[in-house]
Amino acid sequence: MERGSPAVLCTGVGRRFGRRWVLAHVDLAVERAESLLLAGANGSGKTTLLRILAGLSRPSAGSVRVLGRDPHSERLTCRRSLSMVSHRSYLYDGLTALEMLRVWARLSERGFSDDQLGALLEEVALSAHRDLPVGGFSAGMRKRLTLVRTRIESPDILLLDEPLAALDAAGKRLVERWIAREVERGTTVIVASHDVTRMSRICGRGLLLEQGQIGWTGPAARLPAEVEGLA
Amino acid sequence: MRSLGQIATLVRKDLLLEWRGRTRGLSVVLFGVVTLLLFSFAVGPDSTALRAGAAGFLVLALLLSSTLALSEGFRLEHENHALEGLLLAPVEPVALFYAKALSNTLFLLLLAPVLTPVAVVLYAVDIGPATLLQVIGLWGLAAAGLSAPGTLFAAMTSRLRSQDVLLPLLLFPLVVPVLLGSVKAIALILTGDPMQQLPSWTLLLAGFDVIYWSLCGVLFAYVVEEGV
Amino acid sequence: MTRLRWDAIVGLVGLALLLAGSYIGLFEAPAERHMGEVQRIMYAHVPTAWSSMLVLTAAFVFAIASVWSGKAKWDAWMTGSTEVGVVMGALLIGQGMIWAKPTWGVWWDWDVRLTTTLIMVILFAGILVLRSFVEDSERRATWSAVAVIIGYVDVPLVYFCVRWWRSLHQIQSSPETVASTMVTPLRINAIAVLLIAIWFVAQRTRIELARRRNESVAMPARRARRDGETAAAPQES
Repeated sequence: MERGSPAVLCTGVGRRFGRRWVLAHVDLAVERAESLLLAGANGSGKTTLLRILAGLSRPSAGSVRVLGRDPHSERLTCRRSLSMVSHRSYLYDGLTALEMLRVWARLSERGFSDDQLGALLEEVALSAHRDLPVGGFSAGMRKRLTLVRTRIESPDILLLDEPLAALDAAGKRLVERWIAREVERGTTVIVASHDVTRMSRICGRGLLLEQGQIGWTGPAARLPAEVEGLA
Repeated sequence: MRSLGQIATLVRKDLLLEWRGRTRGLSVVLFGVVTLLLFSFAVGPDSTALRAGAAGFLVLALLLSSTLALSEGFRLEHENHALEGLLLAPVEPVALFYAKALSNTLFLLLLAPVLTPVAVVLYAVDIGPATLLQVIGLWGLAAAGLSAPGTLFAAMTSRLRSQDVLLPLLLFPLVVPVLLGSVKAIALILTGDPMQQLPSWTLLLAGFDVIYWSLCGVLFAYVVEEGV
Repeated sequence: MTRLRWDAIVGLVGLALLLAGSYIGLFEAPAERHMGEVQRIMYAHVPTAWSSMLVLTAAFVFAIASVWSGKAKWDAWMTGSTEVGVVMGALLIGQGMIWAKPTWGVWWDWDVRLTTTLIMVILFAGILVLRSFVEDSERRATWSAVAVIIGYVDVPLVYFCVRWWRSLHQIQSSPETVASTMVTPLRINAIAVLLIAIWFVAQRTRIELARRRNESVAMPARRARRDGETAAAPQES
């Protein structure tokens, strides 16, 4: 893996489900510490693209390199440097918040003590709920718990799929600040969101997907106008 | 080894979740008891016939309860797509498989101390504590034999419609060696083993377990390849 | 076009051999001493047994190739072999029952090979059912190939298990004791049935390949991309 190679490199990536091409001709290079906002209507392929980058799905065409590696065949190595926040919470309803964090911490092989995990819960205002089962959490609380997971995994690349969905105003602000801090830290961030106005304030570059193909690329600040222009 | 630690974490997670939701586990156990009762009604109140078939009824109750237990083992994984979350972590799919198969084996093993006494009572079988331990030991081998292919198939069928019929359809013919082996072995334990056949049957069960725990471990990665 | 010819030749040769072998077996070979005319079913039964085992073994090999390479053609060959194997297994069971009834007075006598075949037919039929429930073609290929591998490994285990289980009871003979005068039509039919089976596998495989080809639509044309980096104001599409 040479120095200066992009964090994410997609060449001619396409994904087909049955007879339908959900993604096609996706050429994309995201440099390290860059932040990219993916915009597009429902069904434009944002989630599929993120899943391919995370190694959960294999492209039907083209090639993908994450930190110089194929996320599907070299899954384990890629996953150590990658974290994904999806609209799926990946939680076990029967576990408490602390127990859930402990499981993630042990699987990531990062030595977090219970005190350290408690401090992380404090950061997202969940310490009052640390010994309560996740099943009773609201959507916003679940999202916040999932964010703590990214802190545990401490990734080089952070993928976020609709991180603001189902959150109230306070929740949205918290997530925004969280992502902004990751960007400041130098994490490579790729976020797919409908809330283009908010996210364009945080991200550097923007990309608009239209029916699975890249319709527009440019600075994230210009993305809201571009999306407006299509509406 | 790193994977062993991860397997331990995952098994502990499964056991904790099962304990917290123990009413569900209890219903599987009760299902096993009901099955034993149904066999009695099917055969009739003929204690000779019941005693002769006791081993078979016991193993069948285990088999029928197993599909419920196996499906249950994956229900929690799909609730919030938790399994996908595990796949996103730096965990080898092999470790995921062994953790799940181990949890399933332990759960099936828990059925033994409940169902065996019920069978002893209903089918008028004479049994001492040493014999009971032998039965439970064999039950463990049978449970392991059901869990390995069962976990792999359950991982597939839990994502499909008609999973309730697909899992037994795939699993039951496959585990005929476990069924035959454990029925024979348990029958020999209960009624006596004049020709010393028990070691052969035990070996068959152990052999099946070794083959399938290895094979399914290797193949599991292909089953969860595309996320689940 | 070459593809069409090889399996047509195979099928025709097989058919010709089957007619020849069956004629000899039914009319020219001597009747078996003890069992009489019903023994002649052996000329169908034994070849079917050999071929079904070979075809299922082929399915196993194709399954390994399918899992390893992920290529659609191995999945197609595996599907064809599995389906033909299941049908032949079912035929085998039917033949066994036809032989058992006049000989022993019962339709089913727990013969080791037939019992194993019955279990295997149900198992592989279940795998075919599994296929029909999975919509994504790649997942369908991988999952059914994994199931075929697991199922095939089970065959010797089931066989030995049922044999031990049966050996505790009386062993009855099966229609496979062969005198030397009966070997020729038997060999002819064995090759014949195998060739015909291969023909059926090829047909089914071709259908499956056509189905996969039909699914694999080419990527739509690349659309122009608007570049927001250089333009002063973004253009509308």
